[in-house]
Amino acid sequence: MSELLTISGLTKRFGGLTAVNAVSFSMERGEVVGLLGPNGSGKTTVLNMISGHLRPTGGTIALSDHIISGLAPHRVALKGVSRTFQLVRALPSLSVMENVVVALAFGRGKLWGRAAEEAALAKLDEVGLAHRAHQAAQDLTYIDLKRMELARALAAEPELLLLDEWLAGLNPTELRTGIDLILSLKNRGITILLVEHVMEAIRAVCSRCVVMNAGRKIADASTAEALANADVVTAYLGERHA
Amino acid sequence: MSRNSLLQAAIITVVVGALACLPFYANPYTVTLMIGMLGYVTLATAWALFSGPTRYVSLATVAFFGIGAYTCAVFSESVPYVLLLPIAGVIGLAVALIVGLSTLRLAGVYFVIFTFGLAELVRQLVTWYEVNITGTLGRYIFLPVTPEGIYWQLLALATATLLICWGVGRSRIGLALKVIGDDEVVAAHCGINIARVKLALFAISSVIITLVGAIQAPRWTYVEPAIAFNPTLSFLTLIMALLGGANRLWGPLLGAVPLFLLFEWLSANFPNHYSIILGLLFIAIVFVLPRGVLAFIEENWKRRHNGKIKAVPGVAE
Repeated sequence: MSELLTISGLTKRFGGLTAVNAVSFSMERGEVVGLLGPNGSGKTTVLNMISGHLRPTGGTIALSDHIISGLAPHRVALKGVSRTFQLVRALPSLSVMENVVVALAFGRGKLWGRAAEEAALAKLDEVGLAHRAHQAAQDLTYIDLKRMELARALAAEPELLLLDEWLAGLNPTELRTGIDLILSLKNRGITILLVEHVMEAIRAVCSRCVVMNAGRKIADASTAEALANADVVTAYLGERHA
Repeated sequence: MSRNSLLQAAIITVVVGALACLPFYANPYTVTLMIGMLGYVTLATAWALFSGPTRYVSLATVAFFGIGAYTCAVFSESVPYVLLLPIAGVIGLAVALIVGLSTLRLAGVYFVIFTFGLAELVRQLVTWYEVNITGTLGRYIFLPVTPEGIYWQLLALATATLLICWGVGRSRIGLALKVIGDDEVVAAHCGINIARVKLALFAISSVIITLVGAIQAPRWTYVEPAIAFNPTLSFLTLIMALLGGANRLWGPLLGAVPLFLLFEWLSANFPNHYSIILGLLFIAIVFVLPRGVLAFIEENWKRRHNGKIKAVPGVAE
């Protein structure tokens, strides 16, 4: 198997606070890995460094054989990384379809005009949102916004998809739909790194989990093993439950 | 091309043609009035080309306008008239690139303040140079051009500006600008090179503004920094674009024409209270029509027809 993402010694300091401390892990092509940890453990910071939103203080991130750490986000995007955001970021003045066209027009395919619109519709159809293509993005419900964001991320045809709490805030029915969507992506062989708190989803979609606490990696194992790990239980629930 | 866009193209050609013939039957006052109006239409449209979609409110309009006018004044005696506009354009482009590279990282109110400061800085630099090096503050401009000639040049520039805006609005770069205006983080993560897009559009917009200054300069005969770099011009341009709607192709034009006529009338009839009325108008426009007249009409139209409105944040908010 070939390694797609290799992170070694990744560190991020904000002034005196070390948010991410020498974290190393790697992902193979086609893997779906959960990045877990209590609030403030540095998960989103790791995602932000992979996508280029934050510049690492130390360590490297490599995609296939290319070092991507330190590149500007638009260059990382063109290398094949796309993401969703913890707080949904729609483009409110555009229509739902245009939101997806953006990723197609400036991504690696550089599609434009009718070709881009057709491809955008296809992506929206994949996430079950084709019927809302011509609505304004700001008129969507929360789950539909999340769907649109996912369609936008998928439209870039990413090698690596980063999902930052994509399932958070959904009701049980929506959650089921969301999990099924991620599973369908997994079956298509897309490599996904997801930050998530919803255990049901983690068990359903992640083959492996990396767990962080206070900026450090404390576990990296198959999902069942990682969740049973004494350090992990301590980090989430305290000493008495370990 | 669809029938609709053919019809539009035909109407625009007829209107531009009719305007081009105007000097043959209009009196000199009308030509003068039209020169001022076309100037502001071009300024407001060029301003909105960059500031509309990105919401980077620039008050540097007069910096570039003044650079154009001053280039004309400085080179009017040493360079043939036909070369003045290209020279002004190149200088405007150079300044725009330097300013753009150093400031487009600034966002929101910092950008506004910087651009306002830039206009003052350029004015003070020119004043300093004229006083200490040239030894005289004012300059005379005598150029072999008639008011009609200026009018035609401005009409051509206004038409070109609208065509550029139309082209940008339909192109990939137009979409990139809208995305940047909505959310720069998303823009970058979708693969948009934000700095390059902003710089390119700021440069195009600034060059057009510089050209307006260079074309209009011969009208003055005499320039000094206080005239060429009068900050009111930046504010007028801004408010015209906002009134019409800075996010639409025809918005700045629809704001510039009535406001220009209104200001003409005000300055003729209330010369002493002109500034006060101007200030009140600014406040009224920003409060009542933050997204511009066109958006206002469209929203009300939609509200009446399907009870839904689209509340996109405006430039002024």
